[in-house]
Amino acid sequence: MMHREESQSHYGTISIHNNVIASIASAAATEIEGVKNIGSGLKSRLWELLGKKISSIKVDIDAAGYVSVEIPLVIKYGCNIPEISNKVQENVRLALEKMTNLSIKNINITVQGIEKS
Amino acid sequence: MRIFTVLGIIFYASILILIGAALIVSSFNILQPQDINQLFVYLQNSLNSRIIVGLSGLLLILVSISFARLILGGYQRQKTIAFTTSSGEVTIALNVVEDLIKQLSSVIPEIKELRPDVIADKKGIKVELNVVLKSEANLPELTARLQDITKAKIQEVLGLEEEIIIKIHITKIIAKEEKEKKRKDIDKNESAIPFGGYGRV
Repeated sequence: MMHREESQSHYGTISIHNNVIASIASAAATEIEGVKNIGSGLKSRLWELLGKKISSIKVDIDAAGYVSVEIPLVIKYGCNIPEISNKVQENVRLALEKMTNLSIKNINITVQGIEKS
Repeated sequence: MRIFTVLGIIFYASILILIGAALIVSSFNILQPQDINQLFVYLQNSLNSRIIVGLSGLLLILVSISFARLILGGYQRQKTIAFTTSSGEVTIALNVVEDLIKQLSSVIPEIKELRPDVIADKKGIKVELNVVLKSEANLPELTARLQDITKAKIQEVLGLEEEIIIKIHITKIIAKEEKEKKRKDIDKNESAIPFGGYGRV
């Protein structure tokens, strides 16, 4: 999560931190009806114990500048998982492309749990 | 697959037993270091015995690798169901399917408890349901209904067209008499509290 995506503008360099990409992805994912919340990974749970909140969304930028995002999700009971996953992938892709102009390679979804709303 | 697992477990158990027995024997001074040394000298002197020892070593390594792969492979297989879409991969943890099935106990009133175990492999999704029933119901009818509902729910929520095999084990049936007896026992215990009738006004 320490990487920054850099681009050159007329005035200088613009760098977008991975946390920003993760935040955009998180907001876009939770916008979708049927998504209960973003799941938590082991790392984020450990940090939470120490009182620090970190995103469980993994962002990876390869050498060519393509972004891969891995989103753990908790989905509401009764929803169609593939349908919700597709919507999340589409919305996250649109949001990232719109807000960051980055090239998205993969948006991988891991459904971690199901909860009744 | 189970036969290989059992064979592997027996193999490792026998090796550990042999090591344990050798340690016990050496602690009683029955086996001397010279005896072990002689055995190794004998094994190294003859070409045939050296080949046998080498092949045994190779076999042990192969058995260990295949056993480890069997266990780890099985573990990985049991963790998730995955499919790919145009935007990337979607992975569904199997405990999601288990949670989903657990929620079904509220749909069928005869079910007291539902403990699902979900395994996914190349053949499809295997669901084992351990069921505790509230009362004596028509078991064939109830289990068929449970199988249908479970299958339909998994297909509806996961949207997958893979084969779903559902096995049901009825582990317990709580009879009405038993429930009433329990309730009476609780009532008895409550009334038996000394000075239970004296309350503060």
